[in-house]
Amino acid sequence: MLRRLTGLFSAILFFIISSVSTVKAFEPVPEDRELLSKIERDTLQYFVRLSDKDTGLTRDSSRPGSPSSIATTGFALAAYAIGGSHGWIPKSYAYGRLLTTLRTLKTKAAHKEGFFYHFLDQRTGKRIWTSEASSIDTALVVAGALLAAQYYPGTEVEKLAHEIYARVNWKWMMNGSNFLCMGWTPESHFLPYYWDSYSEHMLLQALAIGSPTFPVPKQAWEAWLRPQGEYNGHRVVYSSPGSLFTYQFSHAYIDFRQLDDGGINYFENSREATLANRDYSLSFSGKFKSYAGDSWGLSASVGPGGYKAYGAKPGGGLHDGTIAPYAALSSIVFTPEESLRAARFFYENYQKELYGNFGFKDAFNRDKNWWAAEYLGIDQGITLLMLENYLHEGVVWEKFMRLAAVQKWIELTGLGKRSIQTKN
Amino acid sequence: MAENRRRHFFIDKPLQLHYMISVVAPLLIINIVAIFGFYIGIWGKVLDAFSNEQIRNEMVTASRMVEYDQARYPTASPSSSDFSSLSLFKQTEKLSQRQREIFKNILNDTNRSLLWKFGLLLLFTAWGTIFVSHKVAGPLFRFSKALDAVGDGDYRARVFLRKGDQGHPVAREFNETFEKTDALLSDIKTASKESHPARAVQIIQEKLSKIQTSADA
Repeated sequence: MLRRLTGLFSAILFFIISSVSTVKAFEPVPEDRELLSKIERDTLQYFVRLSDKDTGLTRDSSRPGSPSSIATTGFALAAYAIGGSHGWIPKSYAYGRLLTTLRTLKTKAAHKEGFFYHFLDQRTGKRIWTSEASSIDTALVVAGALLAAQYYPGTEVEKLAHEIYARVNWKWMMNGSNFLCMGWTPESHFLPYYWDSYSEHMLLQALAIGSPTFPVPKQAWEAWLRPQGEYNGHRVVYSSPGSLFTYQFSHAYIDFRQLDDGGINYFENSREATLANRDYSLSFSGKFKSYAGDSWGLSASVGPGGYKAYGAKPGGGLHDGTIAPYAALSSIVFTPEESLRAARFFYENYQKELYGNFGFKDAFNRDKNWWAAEYLGIDQGITLLMLENYLHEGVVWEKFMRLAAVQKWIELTGLGKRSIQTKN
Repeated sequence: MAENRRRHFFIDKPLQLHYMISVVAPLLIINIVAIFGFYIGIWGKVLDAFSNEQIRNEMVTASRMVEYDQARYPTASPSSSDFSSLSLFKQTEKLSQRQREIFKNILNDTNRSLLWKFGLLLLFTAWGTIFVSHKVAGPLFRFSKALDAVGDGDYRARVFLRKGDQGHPVAREFNETFEKTDALLSDIKTASKESHPARAVQIIQEKLSKIQTSADA
């Protein structure tokens, strides 16, 4: 009897978990949809306004003097394609921006073995600040380019995007090891840091394994560590800093809902990580004014003491009362109810201090009465893509998952096996 | 010249040390106040310049690049409890952690460089006071020796000072007084050797009549 009851309870629990793990499990009211849509449209303006008109390279931050960031440029490519598809910017304008940017990336932007340098001069495309040829940032720009290619099939945009992808020598970035290196500089060559543990690098892995020209062996996927930890009942394969963005970036492009990695569903994992992140900040709500039931989001952001990888447990758990609205908002596909409430809370309570022409500014800290004056490109980018997936039936996922490279990665790593079995 | 040179700088150690402390202590206070003033003033200006928009933007960008690296790559973060003279500057409230680190390193380097120069300055000052004070302590020592000799009954003693010593006029007056006293006592002593006692008493009374003592009512 007890066994039957346990089985019944498990079935109910499974149903509940399954039902919340889909994009449409929670339906926002029209007013909420309108707010989210407004945020997405406003956020798009960051990329429209802060990209160089001649090179297309996009500024890392809205702060004056900021260089262009290759990751932000990648998000800009995705943003133009999305903006053009909705008519928020004219389609011809979007196509023109895409062409300009992709031509710069193909011919002018400094790179090593196809890996772009993290920060480039916005006007010349030359490397600045002794920045590294970055593997993750290259993956983010390639992903943006490939997504744009899906929106404009059979055009020069598609051709250039695939050429840029094909040029990247992913295997070289392994430096003879089992892991992809984080970067390379002309001064000190390969950095002593590798993507050897769970983080935002799953997108990088997918593109590297699925590469048509310089693929890394499928064992690279199996090699990295998947550390597990628990916070407040939320069991998570966690990233070192516990920053929310590490659970979001790969999910902007890849639909992990039906993928299974030896029993790990990374979509569910990100949902649990988000809830743990929220609970973690809530546990300090008596100490920090910024933390509340609808005011959460510990992730890498600017703060009163500069840019820091804020995060929760499990993981580093670094925090000082600084909340990044983008973090709560970008988890909307995982925790729609909580994220939507947070978005409304931030918008209704801190609109004057926190909301501007490009959507939400990066972060705030009420204890120190500190409000970011700037927007960060990558944080705007993840907001836009996650909102697009949430509001428009996972359209980014749908387009990106159709890429041959992504299919190759799924096939080689066996990530799709569980879902196929389940369907049968 | 060589014979004029002193072999020991410490002639009257307590006096000279007292003199040294009397000179060095105010000098130290003046130095500290001056250096602190310059220090705060100069660095205040530097940090003020940092608030210049363009310079600030460049600095913020440079710092941000490092902060990105620190956030991405596992590196040891500095302890927030580390004391630095940077905390003396209110302007640092505007700086990010990385910018504080940059300025802290610059300040620490400057402090280290200033510290040994300051130590050297103190050493030179102390040596200078000993060098100067021995020109005072030397004459005092000579006066003391001469007075001791006189006290012991040797009225031939004179105060001999070196060139460059302090107190030459006083020594001259001392020596003139000693000479007069010596001459008086010599005359009395010579008179005492007269073969006619009456003549000797007359000479002595004559000599003593010219001086005033406690015996005179």
